[in-house]
Amino acid sequence: MTHRPIPLAVALVSILVIAAACSTVGAGSRGESVAADPGPTAVLELTVFAGASLKDALAAVKTAYEAAVPGTTVTIATDSSATLRTQIEQGAPADLFLSADERNPLALVEAGLADGDASAFAVNRLTVVVPSDNPAGIASPADLARPNVTIVAAGDEVPISGYARQVVARLASLPGYPGDFTAAYAANVVSKEANARAVLAKIELGEADAAIVYVTDARASEGVSAIEIPPKANVMASYAGVVVRTAPHLAEARAFLDWLAGPRGQGILAGFGFGAPR
Amino acid sequence: MIAATRPSGRLAALTVPLVLFLALPVVVLVARAILGGGLPAALGSRVVLDALVLSLTTTAISLGLTLALGTPLAYLLARRSFRGSSLVETIVDLPIVLPPSVAGLALLLMLGRNGLLGGALELVGLSIPFTTLAVILAQTFVAAPFFIRSARAGIAAVDRDTEDAARVDGAAEVEVFRWVTAPLAGAALAAGAVMSWSRALGEFGATIMFAGNVGGRTQTLPLVVYSEFGGGDLDASIAAASILVLAAFGVLVSVRILHWGRALDIRGG
Repeated sequence: MTHRPIPLAVALVSILVIAAACSTVGAGSRGESVAADPGPTAVLELTVFAGASLKDALAAVKTAYEAAVPGTTVTIATDSSATLRTQIEQGAPADLFLSADERNPLALVEAGLADGDASAFAVNRLTVVVPSDNPAGIASPADLARPNVTIVAAGDEVPISGYARQVVARLASLPGYPGDFTAAYAANVVSKEANARAVLAKIELGEADAAIVYVTDARASEGVSAIEIPPKANVMASYAGVVVRTAPHLAEARAFLDWLAGPRGQGILAGFGFGAPR
Repeated sequence: MIAATRPSGRLAALTVPLVLFLALPVVVLVARAILGGGLPAALGSRVVLDALVLSLTTTAISLGLTLALGTPLAYLLARRSFRGSSLVETIVDLPIVLPPSVAGLALLLMLGRNGLLGGALELVGLSIPFTTLAVILAQTFVAAPFFIRSARAGIAAVDRDTEDAARVDGAAEVEVFRWVTAPLAGAALAAGAVMSWSRALGEFGATIMFAGNVGGRTQTLPLVVYSEFGGGDLDASIAAASILVLAAFGVLVSVRILHWGRALDIRGG
């Protein structure tokens, strides 16, 4: 049996290749955090952390903004606003934080991690969604408390959960709703997902009977049907944004937030079902 | 031995359910990716392609770090007995049994902005968490032990008399390793490197905790599987998952074909 020394040669070559690659990647990530003057020809990369419910709308905003402001690239990362806030607190290099609530941006302001105040840029409302074939036969929000209905929700810290709790509490006090509505709803929750879009995805896949999501989510999805929440029980979700103090591009981040709150940005958001901020 | 190669009916009946349980989900996933048209479509998708490039780049670098720093450590553990060597071995093995999310949190507590070394790193203008560098460090943390374990076993199995013969002939220690030990332990080193690479490629928990989930920067293929599932693009999720399945399959096949398996104890013979 002969052993050829090929693996070692491969290993040595790969170390060389890698060492070269490492220096470029290392330089790249340092460049971002140090935020040296990009120069007139350099492409400016704006990193926007946004609540998951903004995903589709921001994809359209990105396209429009990059066309409107040449030389700017917008990178969007979406997840639960609560998760993103934690990441920013831990040093994530975001320029701008667009949250599905006001609580998370305010927390950054209070922690001294924001540049300026948080500003509202959109509002949203909630709705019940069911898979298109509505396997549990949900006809009204009252059915959410029926036995054997499976509901998916988001984790307790996710903004949609805070709004959904208010909606459920208001529904419980409406005539025609059982006294134990809140408890019965909670008992039907089979999963708590990472963010609002993950909740929507579970309904699209038909893995649960119903969920409370944003009206914009219901509108963005082809695989679900919406069942309206009585206006008296609905709540208004106020979305606020904040510029991150350690942002590599403070002025440009502020300009993006202003653009989003201005006529062009509001026009795009309205097209996805978001309302104007109060 | 030869008579026992055909399993009895009862034994087969006992084993078939588990084999099917292990195989079918993966087969269904890949079949759906190919037949549903999701794989070809997603290979043209920016999200999947960005993640593929990022995954290949970061795993190449983390493998390089693992080989460069892990080989001397494996040699030390295999060839020298010193006070505290079992402690070092335990430390090296720890990431294998540690949940990856715990590894990510631990890395954040050490290297994060508010971490033990965060302040010192910020002084020199270096912010590691949520960067591509964090992806590489997370991968190295969880994957290096797989190489070190395999390399340590391989080096320890090399006959010392052969090494001594080379020394008698005047070879320096580095030359002994390069021309005697490493070739004789080649199968174990290669198998360890391949398994370590595939572990890094599949890294999820430590990455999302320590490096976050930003497309093109820290969103590797396993994170696409998770994000697109949550973000509603199931096809992209399935496509990214299929790429990972094919890579994992390729790893195991190459380990078998090249007869490296003995070093890893994943082959029967």
